[in-house]
Amino acid sequence: MIAGSEGQELFAPGHRACPGCSEATATRWILKATGTNVIIVSPTGCLETFTSPYMFSPWRVPWIHPLFENGAAVASGIEAALRYKRREDIKVVVIGGDGATFDIGLGALSGMFERGHPILYICYDNEAYMNTGIQRCSSTPLLASTTTQPVGRLSWGKDRPKKNMPAIAIAHDIDYVATASVSYPKDLYNKVKKALSIKGPSYIQVHTPCCTGWGFPPEKTVEVGRLAVNTGLAPLFEMEAGEIISVGKIKEKVPVEDYLVLQGRFKHLLQSQEGRREVAKIQQIADRNIERLGLL
Amino acid sequence: MELRTSIGAIVEGGTSVNYKTGSWREFRPFFVARLAPCREACPAGIDIAHFLWEVKQKRYDQAWKVIMKENPLPSVCGRVCGHPCEQACNRNELDEPLAICSLERFVGDYGQKNSMSVPTPKGQTMGMVAIVGSGPAGLSCAYHLRLLGYGVKVFERATLAGGMLRWGIPDYRLPRTILDKEIERLQDMGIEIQTNASIGREFLTEGLKEFNAIFLALGVSKDLSLGIPGEGSPGVISGLDFLRQTKEGKNPRLGNRVTVIGGGNTAIDVARTALRLGSKPSILYRRTRSEMPAVAEEVDEALKEGASIEFLTSPIAITRRERNGMRMECVRNRLDKIGPDGRRTLISISDSNFSIDSDTTIVAIGETIDPEWKEAWATVDEWGITSIPGVFAGGDLTGSPRTVSHAIGSGKKVAMAIDTFARKLDKGFTRPILLGSLGSLSMAQWMDPSSVTHRNNEVVKYKDLNHYYFEPMSRQRMPQVSNRAMRINSFEEVNLGFSKEVAIQEAERCFQCGICSYCENCYIFCPDSAAKIVDQHKVVEIDYEFCKGCGICAYECPSHFIEMVREEK
Amino acid sequence: MKKMEILEGSMAVALAVKACRPGVISAYPISPQTHIVETLAKMVADGELNSEYVLSDSEFSAASIIYGASAAGVRSYTASSSQGLLLMTEVIYNAAGTRLPMVLTGVNRAISAPISIQVDHQDTLSLRDSGLIQFYVESVQEAYDMHIQAFRIAEEDDILLPVMVCMDGWVLTHSYEPIELIDQEVVDAFLPPYHPVRYLDPEHPLTFGSYAEDNILMELKYMIHAAMNRAKEKINIISSDFHRITGHSGAGLIETYQTEEADIILVAMGSMVGTIKEAIDAMRTDGIPVGLIKIRCYRPFPAEAILSHCQNVQAVAVLDRGFSMGCEGPLSLDVKATLSNLEKPLIFSYIAGFAGREVTTETIRKITIKTMKATESNQPLRGSEWVDLNISIL
Repeated sequence: MIAGSEGQELFAPGHRACPGCSEATATRWILKATGTNVIIVSPTGCLETFTSPYMFSPWRVPWIHPLFENGAAVASGIEAALRYKRREDIKVVVIGGDGATFDIGLGALSGMFERGHPILYICYDNEAYMNTGIQRCSSTPLLASTTTQPVGRLSWGKDRPKKNMPAIAIAHDIDYVATASVSYPKDLYNKVKKALSIKGPSYIQVHTPCCTGWGFPPEKTVEVGRLAVNTGLAPLFEMEAGEIISVGKIKEKVPVEDYLVLQGRFKHLLQSQEGRREVAKIQQIADRNIERLGLL
Repeated sequence: MELRTSIGAIVEGGTSVNYKTGSWREFRPFFVARLAPCREACPAGIDIAHFLWEVKQKRYDQAWKVIMKENPLPSVCGRVCGHPCEQACNRNELDEPLAICSLERFVGDYGQKNSMSVPTPKGQTMGMVAIVGSGPAGLSCAYHLRLLGYGVKVFERATLAGGMLRWGIPDYRLPRTILDKEIERLQDMGIEIQTNASIGREFLTEGLKEFNAIFLALGVSKDLSLGIPGEGSPGVISGLDFLRQTKEGKNPRLGNRVTVIGGGNTAIDVARTALRLGSKPSILYRRTRSEMPAVAEEVDEALKEGASIEFLTSPIAITRRERNGMRMECVRNRLDKIGPDGRRTLISISDSNFSIDSDTTIVAIGETIDPEWKEAWATVDEWGITSIPGVFAGGDLTGSPRTVSHAIGSGKKVAMAIDTFARKLDKGFTRPILLGSLGSLSMAQWMDPSSVTHRNNEVVKYKDLNHYYFEPMSRQRMPQVSNRAMRINSFEEVNLGFSKEVAIQEAERCFQCGICSYCENCYIFCPDSAAKIVDQHKVVEIDYEFCKGCGICAYECPSHFIEMVREEK
Repeated sequence: MKKMEILEGSMAVALAVKACRPGVISAYPISPQTHIVETLAKMVADGELNSEYVLSDSEFSAASIIYGASAAGVRSYTASSSQGLLLMTEVIYNAAGTRLPMVLTGVNRAISAPISIQVDHQDTLSLRDSGLIQFYVESVQEAYDMHIQAFRIAEEDDILLPVMVCMDGWVLTHSYEPIELIDQEVVDAFLPPYHPVRYLDPEHPLTFGSYAEDNILMELKYMIHAAMNRAKEKINIISSDFHRITGHSGAGLIETYQTEEADIILVAMGSMVGTIKEAIDAMRTDGIPVGLIKIRCYRPFPAEAILSHCQNVQAVAVLDRGFSMGCEGPLSLDVKATLSNLEKPLIFSYIAGFAGREVTTETIRKITIKTMKATESNQPLRGSEWVDLNISIL
C-alpha cells in the first residue's frame, strides 16, 4: 500500500482515545509521514488529553503539550531554537484541534503564518470542543446540535455557518494549504509529505469524525468521513503558492441527507417537514463547495 | 508501573504500552473466513477465492495447487464447464462476474506447460479400488482415492480413456492433446487405466473378491429416442455417435442441410461440428433460449459460426423422401403454467404444423443408462452408496444435472464414501465438510478436518461486503479466433486463452468474498495500532492487549472477513 | 572591569542580555519595555547579537515562543510589563510547572484599568504564586548585574525555573546612570553555555506536558516549591560566585542597610530603596534608630533572613508598592506571615509609591515617625495605610 511506511508505529497503542477515534488513526498516518526526525506540538484538546496521562505516553517522537491557545507560538519558539542550533533538518509539526485552531489559538497561528516559520500546522477538525463535552466551536457546521447551542424549542442548533479556516490560511499567502480526511489516509499521508517538503509555513486541515460527539456508532467512523467528502461538505483540495493544484473528485455525489441521517447531532433535522426545509441550507453549502472547487 | 515523580511531569515517550486498553473491549474482532458463493456453487468444490488470490499475487504454482486439491482436471473444466460459479459470483451485482472458468483454464494450462505434479502417497496402503469408466467421474474418483492412499485400477471400455471428455466434446472446445496430458498426469500418480476392458454385471460380485470397493462410473451412452414415426429412417443419426465418429476421424457425409434436435451441449457440439464438416445446421429446440441446458456461451458461438436455432419447435414425424433426404413435420409449442418439475409445461399449438427438409437429422435430446446396467442395484444415495455393500455408483449414471463438473464432484464424493466404507467410519462423519447448501464438498477438508479454514455454512452475500472499495471494471474478454471462415475450416481451438497480464487483471476484480483480500484496511484504519501486519506477506493479527473493539476493521473489510463477537465476561 | 559608561537603563539591560548569549529572544512592545527590545533588535540587525529574534503577535505568544525555545534546549529571553505580563501569566505558570528555565525582564508598571504608565509593582506581584523566581532591583547597575545572574540561576540543575528581574519602569529603564560593564570573557566564565538536562530531541523522545491525576499532582506541585526552597541557598551561592568572578556586588536574597542596633526596620523593594537609604542616613544623624531590609529576591521569599534580622526589633514597617485589593499590601502579608508567631516586632503596612505616587525622603521620614509613635504607644496598625492618599477627592 504505502511502501516503506509500515513497520514502525510512531504512535503507540495504549492511549485513552474513545474506541473508534479518528484522530488516533489520523495521527498514526501523520507520524508515518513525518518519520522520527520531528518535534510535535499539541495544544490542549482531545489528542493531547488522551495521549498524555502521566507516565503513559504513546508518542514515540518528541512531543510537547503547552497550553490551549499557543500551539503555533510554542512551535515558533521551537523552530527558532532549532534554527539557532543549526538543526533545521528537524521538522516542527503542530497537531491541534479545531477549538485550539479556529478560535482560541487563531491569533498565535496568524502570527506564525505571517512570520513565515517553516512549520506544518495540522488541524484535526471534529467540529466542536469535544474534549470538554461537545460544546459549540466556530468549526461546528450549520444546524448541528452541541451542548452549548443545543436544539430546543427555540433553537435548531448552530445558527452560523462553519468558519472557513483554510481560507484564512490562504489569506496569509503561505505556500501550502490543504484539506484532508481520515477516511482517505493515503491522501493525508501524501499531503503531509508534500507539506514537509516545502519551506515556509503550511496548513492541513483533517476532517476527523467523532463518534462520541456526533452520535454514531464507532464502527461507522470511516463511513461517515467518506460521506462527508462525497456530499461536498468536507471538500478535499490542495493549494500551493496560491494555485489550486488538486481537488478530491467526487465519483458519485451523495445527497446531504445520507450523511446527516447517520448522526445524532443532526437528527432533529430529519424529524419534521420544517427540519427537512432546514436541510436545504446544508445542501446549498455542499453544492457551493462542489461548484467552487469543481469537485464533480 | 510504580508511581514516581519526574521533574516537570516529563515522561518517556512510548510508555502507553503499559496500559492495556484491551480491557475496555465489549466486542472482539475475529478473522472469520466464510464461504464464497462461487465455491458453494462449484460442483467440484474448488476454493476459487483462494486460487484467484494466488493468481493476483502471480503465484501460479500455488494457484494450481489450490485447484488440484479439489479438481484434477482444470484444463478441461476451464474449457467446458458451464461455470455456475460465475452465475453465483457476487460481482454480478456491481458489474460483471469474474471470468472464473477462463482463469481456471489459465492455471490448468500453466500446470501443463510447466509439467507440474501433485505429491502422491507411496504405495497403496489403504487398499485397492476398481473404477469402471474413465470419464470425469471415474477420473476424479481415481485421483482423490489416490490422494487418500488407495491403489486404483480404472477399466475403460473404449480404446482411449476420457469417456465423454474424449468422445463427446469436439476438439475445438477441448483439444485431445490437452485431455491426454490431464490423463497422463493421473497415470503418473500410479493410477492404472486399462482400456479396451469390457466389464459386465458379474463384476459386481467377482470384482469384490479382488478389490475392496467398486465404483461404477459408466456414464450414460444410450440415446433417448424421439418417439416419433420415421425416426428409424436412414439419415437420422444419434448425436453421440456422430461426435464419436468425428473424433475417430470417420467424418460422416451429412449433406448440406442438417437438422439437429435438442438443446443441450451435445446438440450444440453437433451443430458446430456439422459446420466444420461443411454443412449448414439448423437446431430445433422445443423450449426457449433461456431454458436451453447448453452453456450459454456455446450457444452464442454456434450462432456466430452460422448455425440457426428454431425455438419452441418439436418434430412430430419424419418421412423419407426419394432423392432428397427427408422431410420433417414439426409443430410449434407454447409455454403454459409451471408444472410439477418446476418448469413451465409445454403445449403444442394446434394447426401450427410446418415442414423442414434436410439431408441429415441428428438427434441429441439426451441420454439414458445402458440397459445392461438397469436395476443393477435397488437403491443408490446422494453419496453414491448403492444397496450392494462395496459397490458405489455416480457421475452421469446416477446424478443430475449431467455436467462435467458435477461428475467430478460426484467422483470426489464417492471417494469419500469409499474411504468411509473401507475404514468403517461412521457415515455421519461425511456431513460436516459440505460447502454451503448445494452439495459441494472439499477433499482438502476431508483429508484434514483441522484444515477447515472457513465457516462452510455461512455464504457471503453482496450486501455483506463493503462496496466502497470496489471500482467498476469490465470483465476481460476471452481472445478468440474471430474470423468465421477460419474457425469452421478446422477443429483448432476457438478460444485462445488468457495471457498472464489479462489473467492478473481479471483476477484483480475478485472481491475475495469471505477471505482476507490483503487490502490492509484493518491495519490502516485501526485507531489503536491493534491490527498489526506481522510479516512481509501482509498477514494481519489483532493485538487483543490493545484492541478496544470499536469495530471499524469489521465495517471497512471489503470481503466480510472480520466478525465482532461479544466478549465473555 | 574598569569600564564605566553612562547608559540608559534599557541599554544596560540589553547589554547584559547580549553578554549572556541567548539563543532565542522574543518580544512584543509595551511601554516602558520598548527600549530594551528595540536595542536588542538593533544589535541583531547589526550582527552584534547572534540570537534568533522572533517578533511575536502578542505577549502571550512571546512568552510561548521562549517557552518553546527553552523546551527545545536553548537559552531564551523576553521582556514585558503591566498588561503584557498579565497576558504572559498562563505561560509563566506553565513554564514553572514544566520546569523550563527562561529569563524575563518585568518592567514594573501599573495595571489597567484605569490605564496608566505610572510605576507600581502590582503587575509582577500578581505572578508571585506561579513558581517564577523574582528579583527586584534598585538601580541600573543592579539590573545589569542581576540579569546575568538570572540566567545562571534559572539553568541551575536543581532549580530549573523561570526567573524574572523586576525593574521600575521609566525610573530605571529610561534614566541614565554610570554603569560598570563586565567583559564578555568574564561573563562567559561566570555563565557557561546552557546544557539542558531534558529537551525536545528526536534522539531521545520525551513527552512534555502530561496531565496529572490526584495521586501525583500534589507531589508534582510540591516539587516546584521544593525547588524554590533549594533556590534560596543556591541564589546566595551564585551571588557569591558572581562577586568572586566579576568583582561586582554579590548581594544574595536580601541586602541590609544600617540594621545594626535598629529599633525600627523598614522593608522595601525596587528603586524606592535608593530614596529610603538617603532618608535613613538623615534620620540616623537625627538619632532615629532605623534600618532597612531591601528585599532582592521576593520569590522564593527570604523568610529565614527576615526572621533573623527582625525578631529582636521593636517594629517593622513594610513599604508596599503593590496591593492585594480587599486585603493588604502583598509584601507586608508575607512579612507578617514570617513574623506571625513572635510577640515583637509590631508590623506596619504602608502602601507607598503605589500607582505611581511619588516617594520622597519626606515620605520615608513620615512613615518612620508614625511607626515609632505607634510602637511606643503600642498601637499596632490594622491593615495597610495608603500613604499620601488624597481623601478629599474620593
